[in-house]
Amino acid sequence: MASSTPASGTSLDVAEIVAAAPSAATTSLWRDAWRRLLRNKLAVVGGVTVVLLCFVAIFANVLAPRSYTKANFDSIYVFPSREFPLGTDQLGRDVLSRMIYGARVSMLVGLGSQVIVLLIGVPLGAVSGFIGGRTDILMTRFIDVMYAFPRLLFVILVMSMLGAGLMNIFIALGLTGWVGIARQTRAQVLTLKEKEFVEGARALGARGWRVLTRHVLPSALTPIVVSITFGIPEAIFTEAALSFIGVGINPPTPSWGQMVGENQQFLRSYWYLCVFPAIAIAITMLSFTFFGDGVRDALDPKMK
Amino acid sequence: MLTYILQRLLWLIPTLLAMALVTFLVMHATPGSPLDPVAEGANPLSPEAQKNLAAAYGLDKPLWEQFSIFVGKALRGDFGQSFIYKTRTVSEILIDAFPVSLLLGSMALVLAVAGGVTLGVLAAVYQNRSWDYVSVSVATLGVSVPNFVLAVFLIVLFSFVLPIFPTGGWGEPKDWVLPTVTLALGPMGIIARFTRSSMVEVIRSDYIRTARAKGLAERPVILKHVLKNACIPVVTLLGPLFAAVGTGSFFVESIFRVPGMGRFFVLSMTGRDYPMIMAVVLLYGVFLTLMNLAVDLLYGFIDPRIRY
Amino acid sequence: MKIPDQQLALFEQRLQTIGLGRRDFLKAVGAMAAFGGLGFATSAESYTPTKPAPGDKLAKDQTFRYGGGGWYQSEPSSHDFNKDLYCSGVPSLFAGLMVFNADFLAVPWMATKVEGNKDGSVWTFTIRKDSRWSDNAPVSARDFEYSWKRQLNPESKAPYAAFLYDIKNGEAFNKKQITDPSQVGVRAKDDWTLEVTLEGPRGYFPVLAAYLAALPSYQRAVEKFGDKWTEPGNIVCNGPFVLDTWEHNKQMTLRKNPYYFGAKDVHLTKVIIPIISVASGALPYENNELDMTALQAGDLKRLQSDPRAGRDVFRYPFPGTWYLTPQVTKPPFDNVKVRRAVGHAIDRDNVVKVAQGLAVPAWSMIPPGFPGATDDAKIKAIQRFDKKAAIEMLKGTPFEGGKNWPKITLSMRDEGLGSKPLAEAVQAVLLENLNMKTDLEVLEPRVFRERLWKQDLQFVWIRWFMDYPDPHNEYFDTFYGKRTTGKRQAWSNEAFDKELEAGRDTRDTAKRLVHYVKAEEILQADAGYVPVAWVVRYAAAKPWVKGIEKNKKGEFVVDGNIYVDMFEHIYITEKA
Repeated sequence: MASSTPASGTSLDVAEIVAAAPSAATTSLWRDAWRRLLRNKLAVVGGVTVVLLCFVAIFANVLAPRSYTKANFDSIYVFPSREFPLGTDQLGRDVLSRMIYGARVSMLVGLGSQVIVLLIGVPLGAVSGFIGGRTDILMTRFIDVMYAFPRLLFVILVMSMLGAGLMNIFIALGLTGWVGIARQTRAQVLTLKEKEFVEGARALGARGWRVLTRHVLPSALTPIVVSITFGIPEAIFTEAALSFIGVGINPPTPSWGQMVGENQQFLRSYWYLCVFPAIAIAITMLSFTFFGDGVRDALDPKMK
Repeated sequence: MLTYILQRLLWLIPTLLAMALVTFLVMHATPGSPLDPVAEGANPLSPEAQKNLAAAYGLDKPLWEQFSIFVGKALRGDFGQSFIYKTRTVSEILIDAFPVSLLLGSMALVLAVAGGVTLGVLAAVYQNRSWDYVSVSVATLGVSVPNFVLAVFLIVLFSFVLPIFPTGGWGEPKDWVLPTVTLALGPMGIIARFTRSSMVEVIRSDYIRTARAKGLAERPVILKHVLKNACIPVVTLLGPLFAAVGTGSFFVESIFRVPGMGRFFVLSMTGRDYPMIMAVVLLYGVFLTLMNLAVDLLYGFIDPRIRY
Repeated sequence: MKIPDQQLALFEQRLQTIGLGRRDFLKAVGAMAAFGGLGFATSAESYTPTKPAPGDKLAKDQTFRYGGGGWYQSEPSSHDFNKDLYCSGVPSLFAGLMVFNADFLAVPWMATKVEGNKDGSVWTFTIRKDSRWSDNAPVSARDFEYSWKRQLNPESKAPYAAFLYDIKNGEAFNKKQITDPSQVGVRAKDDWTLEVTLEGPRGYFPVLAAYLAALPSYQRAVEKFGDKWTEPGNIVCNGPFVLDTWEHNKQMTLRKNPYYFGAKDVHLTKVIIPIISVASGALPYENNELDMTALQAGDLKRLQSDPRAGRDVFRYPFPGTWYLTPQVTKPPFDNVKVRRAVGHAIDRDNVVKVAQGLAVPAWSMIPPGFPGATDDAKIKAIQRFDKKAAIEMLKGTPFEGGKNWPKITLSMRDEGLGSKPLAEAVQAVLLENLNMKTDLEVLEPRVFRERLWKQDLQFVWIRWFMDYPDPHNEYFDTFYGKRTTGKRQAWSNEAFDKELEAGRDTRDTAKRLVHYVKAEEILQADAGYVPVAWVVRYAAAKPWVKGIEKNKKGEFVVDGNIYVDMFEHIYITEKA
């Protein structure tokens, strides 16, 4: 490495060197992880399923055989048959089509809430960890308070305040779920702050902001990725719970959680109304979980 | 160690205060007033009646004053009169209901830990063989099906198909089985998976290989060394699991008619029963914080690397 | 004495203040109409206990388990009906001066005789001497004087004290304009005579005395225990049953009050009421943990088709109407043509299919079989389902052809009872027949009410319960335009109001009904509302449960808001 004092020398050189070193490290880190991931069969299956779900969610209007809002009053509560592969609901709507659109909503709930979780949690955690000092202490206390709130109860509280609706669910789930990732980001930032390569970069003159974004964050990414993959199914679950209580998504928008929650009362008569969406949620949960497990294992440098 | 515990306990107070403030503000920001009659067909009250009621509930005072009154009373253990349940104070209601939820939660957690760890160990030891698959299946069930769906399945299975258990209630130990199992399955699944993966990690590690190389028999190796070290990550799970069990109990309590605290919370939400909401949130907060402290201490106990 | 029609308006007001307006007023007035205008019996002979049918063998254990499906789904707030008639407690614990029988006729109960003076401004109740409180203290006139004054006392902060404002100085006392309770017009002349002086002629007053809001409380218990007096152990009851245990949020049990005058005719010795959430459905009933339960949509068809359980299912009268209110102050519903188009677009036959038997198509407010119901073909035609007519109506409006609809939000109250599928069905037919897309907004009950009274909702899906249709309140309470408070919608119409007033002030029953039919016609022509469906309710009772009272039409009558006397008549036969 070219030697140069911080105050002098061509800063361009220094920047290039600093830029070069971690990226080289990053690519080999990512490629390594990718290879490990592929070896984990369960994770691969999970990942493929996740991709399939996203596909279904995006292309719902092409894939669904019928309209999910059209009521067929002559075919109410039809059991799964040739005409309606997954049966019809109380308005004669095709369950299969509703489930396909439901994929979209469920994915949206999962992703939307995680976006908000990240937008709140990561900056809070990173800034807190990086700046340290009194800000950090204040932040940690705040996080502790939020952590002490039982999550579901708080979500219900917030939903009661905002009213039902898709956007409000994102907000409620986001507002209550950022604590975990904030803590983890902060922990990561703290540990990485001390690690050698950051010291090295600093010694070479890279400035605070740069250090944070180019060096610290990529490694802190692991728990973020893991958190998302586990957060999405948890959000879908919570949405089902909210619908069960009655503060969830409004009709006619179908979401798996809402279908399960609403039709739980029919488990003994029109069981298919609740069972199929429940299976869909289960499969989603599992694929995300296996995929998340795989990602975490792959990114963990200890596992060889 | 003692100072650490004291410190954590002292932090409980400002934490609770902050929680109370947040809840108070969110509560009052929620539309719909507790002055509205609870019953279905009732018309709203006349303006005079509403004013009277507001005065009776202390709701006509400015918000900051209401909050300080609340804090003052709470410090003396008086959480006020429930807006909905006229014959008992909030404290009386919770004193009745909290132990029920505590019992249900504890039993569920014990079952989850015992079952989960067992399944996880079996899965790790017999990796990729039959026990592994059994464990994964049970874990799958618990983790992927919402417990209010699971509840009905279990009721149908064990109350109708095999008439062993009643559909609900909380009188005799017989009534405890189904709610506990329903509540435990989710955490059990999580613990099983976690145990399995952390055990697999430990089994592969160097010091276990050394122990084996030293010629130690398989079982003591597993039980003594592997299990102890593998438990450490599982203990970290306990904190959030307490929370999950505590809140998940709402659905289970509703469907199985268990007279616990979870049921009260959502009912008090829709009824805008302010004193009840505050008390329930604070109680959960205290409980969770204490549980987290206990878990942290346990963690320090098990893992000799950690010292407070 | 016949009750003059203008007094009925006051009567209605009283009931409104306790939220009983439409349904209960209609009930009572309907009874009055049905029974030749009196509405109540003056002596106690009209009250009949139930004897077991010949051939019925009484079971040894007369325990009745009741609940579920929506009945007692949440913990009662208390059993203090005297202070708060909506405490959701058990009415069988207390006995008022009068009570409603299965035909909703008010009959003397704790009173043996009811006498009014010439113009109905003073009523004298003679209290029976043979009924006692559960601690063996006699039920006396002083109990009622105390209880009613307690309700009117501003210190009690009783939310529905306005119910008793007919009593002389009652309102003044409650509003603190006078402070001396002895000036309030209810007086125990002696232990057995209660004299009530009213603000003016109130021919209906004895009917008021039959409502839950007039139930007594026990002075000694109230003074000793305050608000906790309805806890078991503290509570003292004068009704056929006493609160024995109350495991909060879990279960209540009642035992027979041995000192109740009719105790020897009361068969049940114990009543168990578990508090069961609607989510459990009919599971407890099917598992034989309950003897009688209400049925929701999820269980109805299944039980009906079960060969054994099918015979347990019965319908009971709980008439109500589902309707839409397009808000006339909010576009696009400010245009009557749009509102009429909506009426034509609702395919009622199909919409009710989603209710799985719990609703039938409606063409007017009052269901058939009740006074004021009309079968007039002209009225039926006004808002009949006719897709072409619906689109025709839109000609000349900015939404011609079903285009350019603005954002429309259909708001409803969050509750069980199958309201959501019906609303979704309405959405579906509106979309199909008018191309009108709506967003369904399910509001929490309190939020819904708040916004309803403010007329803040654009398009409302709302149900109205009615037990006794007397057209006056059915229309007056809901749609009368000249009300100052408590208007559910912004719609009002001069001609309609005139018809209502004429109906109220006419003495001849037949002539009255003519006015109301005309009113319905105006209401529908101006599309102040769109009737969609009438409510139907079902319950199930095990074969060994007998003694459920039947009304004159032969229908079973179960505990509701008016008739609350079921437990006294039920008996259990031996389980085969």
